[in-house]
Amino acid sequence: MATDQDTAAVDSDTATGGLLRPITTWMENLSEEAYAYLLLAPAFFFLFLVAFYPLLDTLRLSFLVQEGRTAEPFYGIGNYVDLLTGEALIRRQVLDIALTSSFPFIEMGAPFFRQALFVTITFAVASVVLETAIGFGQALVLDKEFRGRRWVRVAIIIPWAIPVVIQAMIFYLFFQPTVGFGTDLMQALGIFGATPLNTSRDSFIIVLVADVWKTSAFMALLILAGLQSVDRSLYDVAEVSGASTWQRFKMITLPLVLPALIVAMLFRTMDAMRIYGVIDATAGCSTVPSLTCVVVDTIFLPQSGVIGLAAAAAFFTAVVIGVFISIYLLFFADSEGGYF
Amino acid sequence: MAAESHSDTEYGRTGEEEPELDRGPIEAWAARSIKNPGRVYKGLFYTAMIAFLLTTLFPFYWLFMVALTPSGSLQNIILAPSTFDPTLLAQGDLTMGTNPGAFVEIFERLPFHRYMFNSFVIATITTVIVLIISSLAGYIFGRLRFRGKSPLMLLVLLVSFFPPAAFFLPLNRLFNRNIGVLEPILSDGSLYNTPYAMIIPFSALFMPLSIFILTTFYSQIPDGLEDAARIEGTTRLGALFRVIVPLSAPGVATAGVLTFIAVYNEYFFSRLMTDPGADNWAPIVRGILGYQGQYETLFNLMAAASIVGVLPVAILVVVAQEKIVSGLTAGALKE
Amino acid sequence: MADVTLENITKRYEDVTAVDDMNLDIKHGEFVTFVGPSGCGKSTTMETIAGLTTPTEGKVIIGGRDVTNLPPKDRGISMVFQNIALFPHMDVYENISFGLRLRKYDKDEIDRRVEKAAEVVQLGGMMDRMPDEMSGGQRQRVAIARAIVRNPDVFLMDEPLANLDAKLRVHMRTELQRLHKELDTTIIYVTHDQAEAMTMSDRIAVINAGELQQIDPPLTCYNEPKNLFVAGFIGSPSMNFVEGRITDNGFESDDVNIPFEPAAYNLSTGADVTLGVRPEDVYLSRNSREAADPTPPLTAYSDVLEPMGNEIFAYLKFDEEAESDMEEGVMPGQLLISVDPDTDIAEDQEVEVVLDRAKTHLFDTTTGNAITHQIAPVDTAGASGADAEVGSGD
Repeated sequence: MATDQDTAAVDSDTATGGLLRPITTWMENLSEEAYAYLLLAPAFFFLFLVAFYPLLDTLRLSFLVQEGRTAEPFYGIGNYVDLLTGEALIRRQVLDIALTSSFPFIEMGAPFFRQALFVTITFAVASVVLETAIGFGQALVLDKEFRGRRWVRVAIIIPWAIPVVIQAMIFYLFFQPTVGFGTDLMQALGIFGATPLNTSRDSFIIVLVADVWKTSAFMALLILAGLQSVDRSLYDVAEVSGASTWQRFKMITLPLVLPALIVAMLFRTMDAMRIYGVIDATAGCSTVPSLTCVVVDTIFLPQSGVIGLAAAAAFFTAVVIGVFISIYLLFFADSEGGYF
Repeated sequence: MAAESHSDTEYGRTGEEEPELDRGPIEAWAARSIKNPGRVYKGLFYTAMIAFLLTTLFPFYWLFMVALTPSGSLQNIILAPSTFDPTLLAQGDLTMGTNPGAFVEIFERLPFHRYMFNSFVIATITTVIVLIISSLAGYIFGRLRFRGKSPLMLLVLLVSFFPPAAFFLPLNRLFNRNIGVLEPILSDGSLYNTPYAMIIPFSALFMPLSIFILTTFYSQIPDGLEDAARIEGTTRLGALFRVIVPLSAPGVATAGVLTFIAVYNEYFFSRLMTDPGADNWAPIVRGILGYQGQYETLFNLMAAASIVGVLPVAILVVVAQEKIVSGLTAGALKE
Repeated sequence: MADVTLENITKRYEDVTAVDDMNLDIKHGEFVTFVGPSGCGKSTTMETIAGLTTPTEGKVIIGGRDVTNLPPKDRGISMVFQNIALFPHMDVYENISFGLRLRKYDKDEIDRRVEKAAEVVQLGGMMDRMPDEMSGGQRQRVAIARAIVRNPDVFLMDEPLANLDAKLRVHMRTELQRLHKELDTTIIYVTHDQAEAMTMSDRIAVINAGELQQIDPPLTCYNEPKNLFVAGFIGSPSMNFVEGRITDNGFESDDVNIPFEPAAYNLSTGADVTLGVRPEDVYLSRNSREAADPTPPLTAYSDVLEPMGNEIFAYLKFDEEAESDMEEGVMPGQLLISVDPDTDIAEDQEVEVVLDRAKTHLFDTTTGNAITHQIAPVDTAGASGADAEVGSGD
């Protein structure tokens, strides 16, 4: 064996030869830190191109002129002021009475953007609360061992996995008076009017239900993960100490699942505040305006020169989400066990 | 306690079965339940399970029924198309009054297969890009110690916080602009109406989740294996792709499945980054909404197209449900 | 030829110096073992040789080639790891041939070499087993086969036996020695187990706190430790130390006095020195004839006895009233001695012991460096010298 010794050393030099060799040698000799930055470069290139640069550019655009309002190209925070006071050249300014009367916070004729802000936040809070409750229920079901659990799990996940447009289609058709029986049913129960997809209040509920239907499963999966990480012997201990099923849930399950629950709620809140697709494909943005709706509508306004306004709306949306995240982090930083 | 109460009921049931017969079934049930709360929980459990199954699955069933209804009779569809009549089978009508033809018609009215293909291609390419790039990033975040690691990870996390609307405007302007360099490749030099207009934003937007999943998986591979590979003759990068990635195959598959589903399901950019035509690389969003004409809306075709559009992800969920569950968990708990 | 030379190797992490100015010269075909307590820098030193870590300063030279900036794969080395590090997704054949396949050897050559390597480590007929289907010992053999199959110039082993059970460990020790003879390559071996180091190596490099303490053949390290650390680290149980000072009469401490002539070792009166003696170099005075050159007897009291079968370890204390302290190691005021198994000794007895002068060491307490490894008695150290010293002192 000793006789092969010299050839081995030579092989190792020639095998990786060619043009690549200087590059690989250079890479191998980089310090740990330089190597880290090199391999992170592609990821950050994409993130910069698609996220950081556009975000900053949106901020820049939001300070630019809204045509016809001032001769100066720089408009300062004018766009933001216009949006919140209703001075902006947005197409629709008034939410219909059905919604405003049932949500007393928003008076008739409030600036459209404020209506959108209200709709978005209400939607986010309501959907996250409902999805957490239902998701918890689903998770508790899935946490049990029973025959066919695999298929029940598939059934519960499927709504989460389908395209937004198809989710919207289901509810659109369901409440389409000529096709679905949803309208008749809800009308008979006295909840909806005759044309729910044209009524803000009814549509808001439809969109909410559609969202809950699709995304409860997401909550369920995250909570399930939390449930399954609970040490089963704790239940035995509690049982031996005489805790009832409900007490076991309240005193063991809930506190131990809380960190996973909070993370899941944070994700869902962020996601809910971006709501757009299901609105656009069911009731439409004019009936249930969300913040993203306002951005998209403004971008595609026939008038030119409202880019600054759209940018302001977009950046404002980002800020609102940022504020929500900060609130979460402030309140839950401790209970999360240092996830952030 | 369980054992005790259990034996209690065994006892109670045999002993008190007779008198209960007089009290009527509901009272009997109530009486039994009070003695044995476990029974109630079991009942609750099955009720809840059936309720969840109904609410998640009924909409699909109903959508299918809408698709099977001839376009002229789209009223009162609850459990079956209004035209459904099993007696027609006797007369040789295999469809029993339904209209399976809708599933053919969707491809005739619009090139729905092309929309599906577009979605498929976009999702696949995005998944590949995301997996490669986030493998590199996951390797660095998961296995190397260097200054600036935590701030950089936070920066990645930040991307998943912002709404797509905040990125859209500059991107839309960028993609509509003529970029001279690209002219030989793209007809008019702009990215609008090309798959890249979606692949690029999707790659960035769905990258953070993959990065977190892969960071978790890669960090669990023992250092010795990577060292051994390097001693045996790989470069650092070689050790990543020959040893770490193959050993983290479940994690990579998870990240891939989640990215594919996310892209396939996306609405915002899919709707806004192309014109409606299938030749403009418009994805299924545009296809399904395309049956909504100016003068007539083909509800049954929308339903049929939706059913067809759901199939790929439904299959993926059935095949890869374990991976989806573990991936969401890993990704979420990491953050 | 594959000599390995380290020149001024230093490795600093942010605020820790893992290896401090290490200089080493290992000759072709040598079996050198790095020993030291965990965290002493021995593994980092090996990683710098392997190329898994780049030194902050200094050069690594293998076979006359400066490899400091070469990646591991181009250094002509192979390595066996503590956790064995077989690729779990490859079978035995794929594991052993991994490096050859990377280097694009042709199939026949790979087969031939793998077969030969498997033969050397006695692993025939297991080529398609997966690592998780094998025992710890078998896996270790695969790891060794993977390392030898490329005929490396230098063979690095990082605590390869640490994860094996005691019996297998002893067996594999012998195997490795046989392998070293057969392969005629340089082997650098890291361990914290000094028994392994003693039995296998040509030379031992004792490392502590990132610094090389001594590099010598095992028996030299044992008999002539260069400093207190080496003296204490090599040998099990460890050497007894007694702190004291030099007087005109020799060594003095609360419990132990050894007369000798300080000037013979260039020691001046009042110097702080530590006396060291291994347990087997202390004898009961009734057996004093066994000591080549006994010191005057010392009175002590037997405390705990640990019969080992082939010998008895007896813990002695100088102060009869002292509480016996069962903490790790030998405490001040205690002496651990090794006596014959059939010695008549019981616990809590008064005993008289003598040290063997020829095996008694003196160390400078402040620097830790060895002064002498034997203490000559006053009369034989040259009475004339002592006289002269006294004379000049007056």
